[in-house]
Order: sequence, then C-alpha cells, then structure tokens
Amino acid sequence: MKKTFCVLLITLFASHLSAQSTALKIGQPAPEISLPTPDGKTILLSSLKGKLVLVDFWATWCAPCVKEQPELKDLYSKHSNQVRTGKFEILGISLDKSKENWRKGIERFKMEWIQVSDLMFWKSPVAKDYAIEGLPFNVVVDEQGKIAAINLHGKELEDFIDNYLSRAK
Amino acid sequence: MRYFIYLFAALLLSSTGLSAQQKQEPWKASQLVEANTLASRINNNKAANLLILSVGPDAIIKGSVDIGPTVEAENINKLKNYLKNVPKDKEVVIYCGCCPFDKCPNIRPAFAVLKDMSFKNAKLLNLPRNIKVDWLDKDYPTND
Repeated sequence: MKKTFCVLLITLFASHLSAQSTALKIGQPAPEISLPTPDGKTILLSSLKGKLVLVDFWATWCAPCVKEQPELKDLYSKHSNQVRTGKFEILGISLDKSKENWRKGIERFKMEWIQVSDLMFWKSPVAKDYAIEGLPFNVVVDEQGKIAAINLHGKELEDFIDNYLSRAK
Repeated sequence: MRYFIYLFAALLLSSTGLSAQQKQEPWKASQLVEANTLASRINNNKAANLLILSVGPDAIIKGSVDIGPTVEAENINKLKNYLKNVPKDKEVVIYCGCCPFDKCPNIRPAFAVLKDMSFKNAKLLNLPRNIKVDWLDKDYPTND
C-alpha cells in the first residue's frame, strides 16, 4: 500500500517536473537572438556580450507580464549606473502580433531598455529556441553569453541582479 | 497509511471542487473541444461544416478566421457582424491560445456573444496552456 502511494506521489511530481522547460540549462550558452526594434534595427543578443542581460519575454496581451513591467523599470533605474557603464541591460522580447499594441505598450510603461519583436505571437522562432511554455518568462545571460538564471521574478529576480552586479564591481 | 491516502484524495477532490465552483464560466464542460480532436478533423478534411474563429492575437489554426482579440470592443463588433450571416445551428469553435483560460481576456466575452446570439452548437477549443504548447509544438495544422 505504502509502495503504491509512493509511486503515485512520484508520478505526480514527475509530471510537474516534466512540464517545466528542460531545454535551457544554467551555464549553457544562451541561444542567439536576432530580432528587430520597432524602428527596424536588428539587435543580436551576442552584441550585448560583456554585459549582464535580463532577457524578458512579454506581450501586451499577457496580463502578468504587463503587471511586472513597473518592477523591471525600477530595477533598470536602480542599476542605471551599470547600464551607463555597459555592465547591465534588459532586452525586452515581445510575443505581440500587433505592432500598434506593442508600440503603445512600450510607451505606456515608458520602457527605456531595448525592445525587439518579430510580431509573430507564439509562432516566433524565439519561443521555440528558448522552449517557452508560458509567459511571463525570462533568462539572465552573463557577460560570456551563458545562461545565469532562468525564470526568476519579483524579489528573487531583484536579489539575483543586485547580488550579481555588486559582486562584479 | 490509509489515513494519508484518504487525506490526499480529499485534498485533491476539494481543490478541484473549489476551482469548479469559483469559476462561473459561460461554457459547459461538454462545450470544450480537445485540440487533438479538432486537429484530426482538420487533417481528415472533416472540418468543412465547422466554423473556427480566432478571438485572440492571431489565427494560427488552419482554416480559422481572424476576428482579433475580443477583449477589444471593436473586435466584439467584428465578431457580431461576422456571425450575423451564420446559421444558428452551425458548429462554431472559438479559440484564443494566448494564455491559460484563467488568464485569457478574450474567450469569455467572445463565448458570451455566441450565447447571446443563440448559437446552439458553440464550442471552445481546450488549450490548457497556450497555442504554442497545445497546438504548434504538437505539429497540428496551421494557416501557414
């Protein structure tokens, strides 16, 4: 009986685990990203090497993502010195479909960091490359272009960025 | 040991029971269409008598009509206008796929329109996560 119960529990936990994205691993190189800004300028993730980069996947249709943007704005302002000296950057990748909504969202939240999108909604190849299974989603990429953290939010994200940047000083 | 199993079962039951009670959804469980069911109908050319409407950011599913996100009033009007000339007994399947149902702003207003306009065969595509995980990742048929 005990055995059956354990098997049941393990199965339940295993199914939860397998639902998590398994393609990305901390320490591995972050897949390259090459996407246009609203003005059509192509940005490469690799061009940001040497900085700690928070890659934030969001969309105006994603309510929890929209809710998180003011927190990212605070984080960006808090580390504005590191942004100026080329130590930190945020790369916002939108899974929007409508360019108008995307532009309006950027304006509304006064996002001062880099914004890119191919406006392909869930069909965007970047969603596949990063094995994204739901939004909001983010990764932190270190100075060497390797994944340093996966999907941290709120206080956890803030602490991670704060600690990393203070260590790097 | 037995006590734990009962407790576990009770917890499972109460959590599902609660969530079912909290959500007063406009659709019934019987009005949900599973993704694999719809995909095989499209693949087997058995979707001709079916109207598939996208009420989210993009009409990804093969043969579906792009209404646009029905969280916006103009798209609700677009949906109403589109449905004006559709027979009330037509099987109509709507989907969004941006997010899980509890986070989706589009499916409820769209389903309410179908109900208000007395569509007898209104369905909602069951995409528990989103259109990527529950459709694209499974290589189900798309519009492109």
